[in-house]
Amino acid sequence: MKFIVHYPSPLAFRFAIRESRIALHGFLLGLLLLLIGPSELSGQQAEPKPGDTIGPHNWERVKGMVGDNLLDRIKQGYSFKIKEPTRYDVPREYVEATKRYSGKVRLGADGELLNYVAGRPFPQIEPRDPQAGQKVAWNFYWRWQGDDFKNGGGTQAGKVIRYAIEKDGSERRADFVAYFLFPRTRVTLDPKPVIPGYEHIDSLQLRIDSYPRDSAGTATFEIRYADPKRPDDLYLYIPSLRRIRRASTTQRCQTLAPSEFNLDDIDFFRGKITDFNYRLLGEKKALVNYAQKNVPYQRKQGDYLPIDEMWEIQDVYVLEITPKDPSYCYPKKILWVDKVAYEATWGMTWDRKGDYWKELALFRIPAKLPDGQVAWQQGTGYGVNVQNGRSTVLTTTRAYNQGFSPSLFTLDTMQRIMRGGNVE
Amino acid sequence: MIFFLGNFFLIFLMTAPARASSILGGEWEKLFKERVTFAGFIENTTGLSIVAGDSKFTTSNRFIMNRFVIQPEFNFDFDERVKLFISWRFVKEPRYNKEARDRRRNVPSLSPLENTFYDEDSLKPWEMVWDIHPIDRLSLRIGRQFISWGETDGLRLLDVINPQDGTFSPPAAANLFSLDETRIPLWGLRASYRLVPASNTALEFIAMPGYDERRKRVDESAPTAGRWAPHPETRIALGRLFANPIGAAPVVIPSISRVWPDAGDNWRIGGRVIHSIGKLNFGLGYIWGFNPQPGDLTFKLLGTSLGPGGTTIARLRLFNDRTSIFAGHFNYPLEQLKTALKGEIALYPSKPFNISKYPGSSGLKAGPHPRHGDGITEKNTLRYSLGLDRSTLIPFLHPDDPWRVFNLSFQIFQSIIFDHEDGIRAFSTAEKIKQVSTSLTFRVSTGYFGDTVLPDVFVGYDPEGYWLANPAVSYVPPWNEKMRLSLIAALYGGRNKFKSFGSFDEKDSIFLKMRYQF
Repeated sequence: MKFIVHYPSPLAFRFAIRESRIALHGFLLGLLLLLIGPSELSGQQAEPKPGDTIGPHNWERVKGMVGDNLLDRIKQGYSFKIKEPTRYDVPREYVEATKRYSGKVRLGADGELLNYVAGRPFPQIEPRDPQAGQKVAWNFYWRWQGDDFKNGGGTQAGKVIRYAIEKDGSERRADFVAYFLFPRTRVTLDPKPVIPGYEHIDSLQLRIDSYPRDSAGTATFEIRYADPKRPDDLYLYIPSLRRIRRASTTQRCQTLAPSEFNLDDIDFFRGKITDFNYRLLGEKKALVNYAQKNVPYQRKQGDYLPIDEMWEIQDVYVLEITPKDPSYCYPKKILWVDKVAYEATWGMTWDRKGDYWKELALFRIPAKLPDGQVAWQQGTGYGVNVQNGRSTVLTTTRAYNQGFSPSLFTLDTMQRIMRGGNVE
Repeated sequence: MIFFLGNFFLIFLMTAPARASSILGGEWEKLFKERVTFAGFIENTTGLSIVAGDSKFTTSNRFIMNRFVIQPEFNFDFDERVKLFISWRFVKEPRYNKEARDRRRNVPSLSPLENTFYDEDSLKPWEMVWDIHPIDRLSLRIGRQFISWGETDGLRLLDVINPQDGTFSPPAAANLFSLDETRIPLWGLRASYRLVPASNTALEFIAMPGYDERRKRVDESAPTAGRWAPHPETRIALGRLFANPIGAAPVVIPSISRVWPDAGDNWRIGGRVIHSIGKLNFGLGYIWGFNPQPGDLTFKLLGTSLGPGGTTIARLRLFNDRTSIFAGHFNYPLEQLKTALKGEIALYPSKPFNISKYPGSSGLKAGPHPRHGDGITEKNTLRYSLGLDRSTLIPFLHPDDPWRVFNLSFQIFQSIIFDHEDGIRAFSTAEKIKQVSTSLTFRVSTGYFGDTVLPDVFVGYDPEGYWLANPAVSYVPPWNEKMRLSLIAALYGGRNKFKSFGSFDEKDSIFLKMRYQF
């Protein structure tokens, strides 16, 4: 795949400042090398190259490029090889929509998005911009995800395969499917860019548990409104009652049994953008895997890490997210957001005491679109609660642009869900 | 049977590959792999009375349940417009042999009890629904099915379209058998049209002929009217109105008859519109013909006579097979309180009630009312419920995972009888029904140890002085998602006079459920 960077970040200003300091840095570096001797740095701090093997003997080389939990696992013996970075093209309709509409997009006084139609809201991110964090957050929110997609649609089983793993290695499986529709920002499917009557809705999500039998049919229906002040509508369908329940927004923090994720952890972060504050902490190189070899990846029974996958180095933004509501379950979350696709690749969460809490990482695989283009999609990922040792592994491949009817995303659909059945 | 065979013929037609030569080939295998899913469960429930019976299990009322259920389920996903769900339910609940022995010893004049207490062994599907979508917004569900309206939890208010199986005693034990397991499926049609999908505006129409369920669900002859009567429906205290008999022995035999309506009269028909305005989601509808709850069963007293062995026979006829209900429901999120408000309302015009004079004039505990000779009066009645659902974090109760929520649910149920008359009583318990009666329920549930230990407590309280508690704790092994063990208690108490919830206080019991899903 060819490397096409559609939206290079203009870092000229930053580079100029760096250049003015280069001479001084070079002098100091030379002095340091003289003092500590070349043998102390031989290879250990160098950026890993394709073909290198990373393991407990050289974990320092990926320090800061992975989450702290994975770094600990590397220190304890986990090893893998580095491969060439994978590149994907942003689908052309999305690029065209960005060109057409992004010029008028602005941020409002409360960080809300104004004049947005479709595509990437802010194709240019200036790291020194005090609103850069908010803009990266909106780019992440409105990243290309097709006009609709089915989570699980890319697997042979047609569903998301999920394992909850206990600290002692015990495993339970719990599968589900999820349907998403983005009715007012469409770039591929007609009607474009908005389905009439849906101008006020950002997204619709229908999530249905499918395994094991007793939880099969349990469904969540979420309506996210464009109005920044209007909370999501959230409904639950409970098959043991065969009734729909209105859920309060607190349930966004509720852990989705039996996983360690909650509703806002879906896709790393599915909170309402205007409910949080954002800070761009910088840019960095991260270890990721954008071309997963096996789907799902091979792993040892009872462990969440892949055993035969190679990792690669990609550029990411480091985005800090803090809630405006002090009672929200996450006081701080950090996302590492891919600079090309604006997909998150790593997510880290801290609890109210400031202790490291959850770490999420997700691989990617290519997705062939109905029109023949190749884009990216999610592959297998894991989430670890480092405090209690529980983890979740899920394979959540997608089928994009399926042409789902808006009438699929209704309360009426929830009432006709049969255990283990299909609503499409 | 014709319907059953017809369904299989349709399945055959829709699943048959085009070329006959491939019938035994890989196409079938591929088709079933891609379009058919199979699931189900096996469950065994054992129940013991904890307040009645002998500790050595020598009496009939100690060992109160051993029910074994197998329920296979198939989904046929023919295409985006046609799907079929079909399940069978096989139940075997043998009678504790001490019960039959007691009956032989104590009432030798009556025929011996059968060893079978409750069986479901018919090959007729338990649930069999065709989901058809002729056009995008229209959904049709045809077949033997469940239709549930309403918002409540644990107790039913609008959820009266399908009858509830009285075999699943004790009552209001939401943690023992869920509503989905206690409803009885009915053949019928549910049609819904999504008028405006963006506002969840939908029209729904239901029609259920109810032609095949009439024989089993109302007791036609209940010789002993007690917990251990041969017919499971009589586990409710059916004959309390006649508790002091005129005969020598303290036994009343209710001889119950039911005039079966014509097929056309037995239909249940209803419709509703569901709509959202802002954050408010609501529905308004109408049901004609419903399934009365045990507490709603109303019987005409046709007369009494002496029975065998000095017993009394009370001849009764079930009265309220059907009625009209004007129905409504709503839900609304209270964002500031992080709580969801929900409610149901049901208006019953001319709802029948049993009415009697108390104490009765001819030695009966309650007797014929001077103005209502047949023991029936009809009153406009309003029932409603309001509830609050909230998920909240209680970190100190969750030391292993402070972010695991507690799900809290509070509900109030009220029934208001307009033009109330003194003497209106529940047939089942002879309890006086006041103009306004109230029940409160509270439920709390959470998960511990990665949702492997799941406590759930459901409690109910009637300000008249009755209460019930239905605590349960389930264990899902962390190494097998298919297994589930549950320990459940059903406890009843309160004022010990005729009693409502309390009528089952002597049946305080514990249950062990073992369930395997496949």
